[in-house]
Amino acid sequence: MSQKPSPRALGAIAASALMAALPIAASSDTDTPELKHTTVLSGLENPWGMAFLPDGAMLFTEKCRGLSVRLPDGDVNKLVGMSDTEDYATTADDLFCEGQAGMNGVAVDPDFEENRAVYVYSASKKSDPPTNRVIRLTLNEDMSQTSERTDIIEEIPYKEEASDHPFGGPGAHNGGRLRFSPDDGFLYVTTGDNHNSQLPQSGDTLGSKVLRIDRDGEAAPDNAEATPEGFDPRIFTYGHRNVQGIAFHPETGRPYITEHGPWHNDEVNALEAGANSGWDPRPNMAGREDCPDDYCGYQPNQGEGMEPEKRDNYMPMTDTDTYPEAMEPVWDNNNLSQGISSAAFLTDDKWGAWKGRLAVSFLGIGFGGTPTGQRIDLLELSDDGESVEDVTELPAPMGSSRFRALVVGPDGDLYTAVDEGSIYRITPE
Amino acid sequence: MKTQLLCAFAAVLITGTAQAQDGDASAGESLYAQSCAQCHGPEGKGMASFPSLEGRDAEYIKSRLTTYRDGEKVGPNSGLMIPNASKLSDSDIDNLAAYISSSFE
Repeated sequence: MSQKPSPRALGAIAASALMAALPIAASSDTDTPELKHTTVLSGLENPWGMAFLPDGAMLFTEKCRGLSVRLPDGDVNKLVGMSDTEDYATTADDLFCEGQAGMNGVAVDPDFEENRAVYVYSASKKSDPPTNRVIRLTLNEDMSQTSERTDIIEEIPYKEEASDHPFGGPGAHNGGRLRFSPDDGFLYVTTGDNHNSQLPQSGDTLGSKVLRIDRDGEAAPDNAEATPEGFDPRIFTYGHRNVQGIAFHPETGRPYITEHGPWHNDEVNALEAGANSGWDPRPNMAGREDCPDDYCGYQPNQGEGMEPEKRDNYMPMTDTDTYPEAMEPVWDNNNLSQGISSAAFLTDDKWGAWKGRLAVSFLGIGFGGTPTGQRIDLLELSDDGESVEDVTELPAPMGSSRFRALVVGPDGDLYTAVDEGSIYRITPE
Repeated sequence: MKTQLLCAFAAVLITGTAQAQDGDASAGESLYAQSCAQCHGPEGKGMASFPSLEGRDAEYIKSRLTTYRDGEKVGPNSGLMIPNASKLSDSDIDNLAAYISSSFE
């Protein structure tokens, strides 16, 4: 393999350097900041999640590599490698990647300074069939090693077999984001439907859910009071498709999620305990007949372009006809699916007029006439948090990419990981 | 069967080398940036569940794009590749094959 950069790559590097040097005006509004970017890390393989430690160190995952930490001085310690890696302090041979699955989200315990606990979400072959797991680790003082691996959730479903669907390979739709709520202190875990139509509305599996647990994986006590009888007590909300983002409102503490739509309707939802997000792609119900491999998620026409409204009528992201009490989205990306991924609230004063906005990221999917849409949007929520009053595209100073993860650092800046292999810091000035 | 496969593989190697020179890599670069890079990555390394194109010879790229253009499913991303490839002319395919095979080695 040649390591020689192509002319195009050199152009991109030059353009990147130029953009870094010249802050881009965010908008004509005088109270909105100018933005500049810094490349925090590059040359990564599918970075998926980040979480900051109290001293500014940043944990990050790479989907097929594992967990690392970037120290405040910029050095990187590779902590937990997945199967087929050799350069990590520890190798966990049961952790693997396939398709969309691998090592996904990462979180830091709110009491990290006392217990040194960090958490990752990963596909694992420790069980047969494989599952997705939430794993707790203890990070040593010099941040060079982890120990005391404890799998606090072992049975989040994993898609093992390929199916006749777009993106139908093994490993599809895992969710995978981990975040502690600063309000209630519980760990929220987002999952996905695996292209399995039985998962979203079933109460005895953990796929297609948002889970709310403590640091040992035990259910938050209030979950079961809110969900239907017989539901697994770790379930906080259900009826989701594929939730890759979660953030907590800085004033109310309410969790907001991003829910990736099929060929239509990316959603942002404001969660209430026990809520049903209304995704139910089962065949032979709600006006549908048989569907490929028992999953109607991309029907009625999964291989060609079609008006998003027609898709939504046939296979709604939120089926309020079948489930009148379903939680309706606060935003639906104008009926389009462009691969909504992560979410973070901008809380620092330096964001000016954008302080308090919910940043949501998009991977970009150009299908059937839909614009690809790689971007970060800043959503202004209404006072009651139930709707969106304004959407402004963040003028990303590094240009467009497959934006995978968003997190706000201890400095108040917005950090984003892109599938192309970089983590950027976006600083308002 | 094995012999046939080996012969086919050898044929691909030979024709791949010859035909890599057919297309216009410069034209292929523009088309790649516009139509391919958002999933396969600016350096062809692949991203998410979209495969790497590194080390693929021109004949392989031509064969796959032609198959997709014909509407035939190959793998889980056919739903995205078929509509994208349906717009490509023969020379587009030659140009992409020339660029990809010479740039992402």
